[in-house]
Amino acid sequence: MAQAQSIDNGLKLASEQVFNRVRDAGAEADLIIIAAESLSLKASDGKLEEHTVSNTQSFGVRVIKDDHVGIAYSEASDDDSLRWMVDQALQNATFSDAEPNEKILDSQQQLVSDDSIFCPEDLATVDQQIDMVLQLEQGLLGKSLIKSVPYNGFSDVSSSRYLFSSAGLSAAAKQRMVYAYGYALAEDGEKNSMEGSGQMSRLTGQLNVPELIETVASASLDLLDGKPIASNHYDVIFDCECQEQLFGVFSMVLSGKAAKEGINPWRDKLGETVTDSRLSLSDKPLLMDGFGYALFDDEGTATKGTAFIVEGTLNTLMHNSVTANHFGLTTTGHASRGSRSTLGLGLHQLVMEQGQASAAEIYAGEYLEVTSMAGLHSGANAISGDFSLGVSGFLCRDGERVQPVRGVTVAGNFYKMLNHIQCIGDQCVWNWQRTALMPSIRFASLAVSGE
Amino acid sequence: MLNPTTAQSVIDHALSLGADFAELFVEKHLTSSLNTISEKVKSVDSGIDFGIGLRMVFGGKVLYGYTNQTDAEGLKRIASNLAARDRRDRLNESVAFDFRVFEDRHPSQIVLSKDAAIDSKVEYLLKADAIARAVSESITQTRGYCMQREQAIEIFNSEGLHTTDTRNYIRAGLTSIASDGTEQATGGWNDGGLLGWELNGKMNAEYTGEEASRQALVNLSAKPCPSGRMPVVIGNGFGGVIFHEACGHLLETTSVAKKASVFHDQMGEMIASSVVNAVDEGLMSNEWGSINIDDEGMPTQRTQLIKDGKLTNFLVDRMGSEKTGYPRSGSGRRQSYRFAPASRMRNTFIEAGDSDMDDMIASIDKGIYASHMGGGSVQPGTGEFNFAVTEGYYVENGKIQYPVKAATLISTGPAVLKEISMVGKDFALACGMCGSVSGAIPTTVGQPALKVDDILVGGNA
Repeated sequence: MAQAQSIDNGLKLASEQVFNRVRDAGAEADLIIIAAESLSLKASDGKLEEHTVSNTQSFGVRVIKDDHVGIAYSEASDDDSLRWMVDQALQNATFSDAEPNEKILDSQQQLVSDDSIFCPEDLATVDQQIDMVLQLEQGLLGKSLIKSVPYNGFSDVSSSRYLFSSAGLSAAAKQRMVYAYGYALAEDGEKNSMEGSGQMSRLTGQLNVPELIETVASASLDLLDGKPIASNHYDVIFDCECQEQLFGVFSMVLSGKAAKEGINPWRDKLGETVTDSRLSLSDKPLLMDGFGYALFDDEGTATKGTAFIVEGTLNTLMHNSVTANHFGLTTTGHASRGSRSTLGLGLHQLVMEQGQASAAEIYAGEYLEVTSMAGLHSGANAISGDFSLGVSGFLCRDGERVQPVRGVTVAGNFYKMLNHIQCIGDQCVWNWQRTALMPSIRFASLAVSGE
Repeated sequence: MLNPTTAQSVIDHALSLGADFAELFVEKHLTSSLNTISEKVKSVDSGIDFGIGLRMVFGGKVLYGYTNQTDAEGLKRIASNLAARDRRDRLNESVAFDFRVFEDRHPSQIVLSKDAAIDSKVEYLLKADAIARAVSESITQTRGYCMQREQAIEIFNSEGLHTTDTRNYIRAGLTSIASDGTEQATGGWNDGGLLGWELNGKMNAEYTGEEASRQALVNLSAKPCPSGRMPVVIGNGFGGVIFHEACGHLLETTSVAKKASVFHDQMGEMIASSVVNAVDEGLMSNEWGSINIDDEGMPTQRTQLIKDGKLTNFLVDRMGSEKTGYPRSGSGRRQSYRFAPASRMRNTFIEAGDSDMDDMIASIDKGIYASHMGGGSVQPGTGEFNFAVTEGYYVENGKIQYPVKAATLISTGPAVLKEISMVGKDFALACGMCGSVSGAIPTTVGQPALKVDDILVGGNA
């Protein structure tokens, strides 16, 4: 591709050094290198409070010898450290049980992403970026009843991911992301509320700070008078941020690895109806508008679209080469591995097909709109599907917010909930981190605990 | 790890740019982790993290940079870039380093740099697995893990401090998965400490396996939890996560200095029921959340947070002290060189009281006994918190009736602290990981069983 990045010679030499030592030991391996430069800024009381810069890299090797897999990593790249890393991985492999399905892929591909699209040159100066975070904080403090903006920031992160293998694979991808966020504390007498939001782009100039100020301010102020509603069963619509988080927590249900390990509740349901027939769910890693764009996965497999659920029927799970070999399938290009971790699976960009329901239909009658959730890491069990979460939002009637709601919980079983859908909206929107593109879903009759 | 001459030249350079204070945090961190699935060793991995964090303070502003490189010129370049907008005439002269050795309160024997002891760890986990799966045919799988780390740190600062410390962390545990063919449920047990694999002598594979499976089977048979406001007895040990979330985070000057804590102006006030006494400390030998020195080089201490319901201290780091005027409490902590330090908790607990467990349960007409808690989170600005019940029971007419599932407790810190009416005698501690602005750090939570008279229980009955 034009303007594709070239791979630094030093990294190629480092990879050769690693693979020579691996081959000498009679093993095969792949090497992942993550390099990143970042800037982050935070403001407080009209001044820059924190200014952080970093420049880091880490090397992670996965060796396979006689079907045994070992992992090791190092943040140091001198010869001694790389030798130590390989030796550690080889030693670790002697302790792990044999995994005959895990192989280094026989690929000599050369894959590189297009820097001009995914890592464009940002002409904004640091001073302009500092002004931006100060503008964000000051703009929020200028709003009536906003007392402070305890959490705010701007970040500019450029990261490179390199993947080499002893079979000859060479892949490189680089991307830049800039983002700004704010959480504003609103107070009115004894009442208080703190909510927030963010924006993400590839260039500083594409962030819209005035718009973010309005979004954050209204998120906090609109909930200031929030109070519990009566305990009952309500139809619930999660906003696009919350809905993406819910699907993320329960994405194990799409995992071929969890199926291989016997804990995926849908492991035996391929070809069966698992959700409402109006729901279709895919991964579209090559959708260039999203920040989950990926040209290749962490085994170096070129990515492509994967339809997981088609009109309610489970079509496939996501796979890397190990889980695919186990089930006699081919990889779907969802291998995921950091420099420190073992080979796993990960979604790129989850995309749900739009439904048929117009705004008038989806927002008809009474429902709870959830705009904020707490406790996802502890109150949701992906194995059982059960969840119970503290939420905030709005009791709505016919599309109008009639009461801000706080201090309530929403509980249910996610997998069962997917079969109790009232309707799916006909408009898709990205979450602010641009990792999922979904329409609104109106879930029927979830247990809400309040007064 | 870093040549003192190099450190001195970098710090002097930072001062020459006009910094009020400069500090280098050098870290070499060995890690080893082992995972099992039932009777198989799923993965073994290890690694080294190495890096340097440079902090400069200009007035109330923190400039922070980090890198994997150790050369003086590279570190000076970071300092110059960071200070480009704040550069001014030198305010302070360099102070020669005075190397200080602090007492090692947490001696460790089987440490990672000497022996990863993989064979012994595998033996432990496979024994726990065998016991767990022998409990019932409904136990379909176990997942074991053992994580060990050795974090060596070196701190230099512009006040002449030069010190080192080594922290050895170990944690091991097992999760059992139970299934009846249609539903799945989990249970788990773990232990850990600020020590080496000699933890093996203190843990018991039989107990780990049996306890994990017992919880999984209880949860498999659990009914949907009733919801609404009701009294709750929260079990000892990890039940202390309620105090960690409801109050501990709100007492960190990270929040207090920004007035983002509901307790920021409550020093000396009654913020809890008079039966509540709470402490944060790092002294307890080999305890998971303990430290010798904090990540700013200050010796650890015991900090009484609440005495008879009255707020007595905040958790204060260097910047928090500058901003609030409260003295530092040795609470400046960070996950790694990638984070500037912030005020954080260590071993945080509610002290034992004098109530009997039986009396607490007997005092409930309709409510919940939350014997084991999961994690939770808090929004410091409003004090709103949530946490999950991982093993709970419905209580009626003073008697435990049946297990319940998918329960969450939500409230606010100020409200729940005043609703604690009974504090038990069965004090215990438990390991946890706490995530906040300076990353994820090991913290201990703890309490005896205690009764909260009124809290919202979220369930799906």
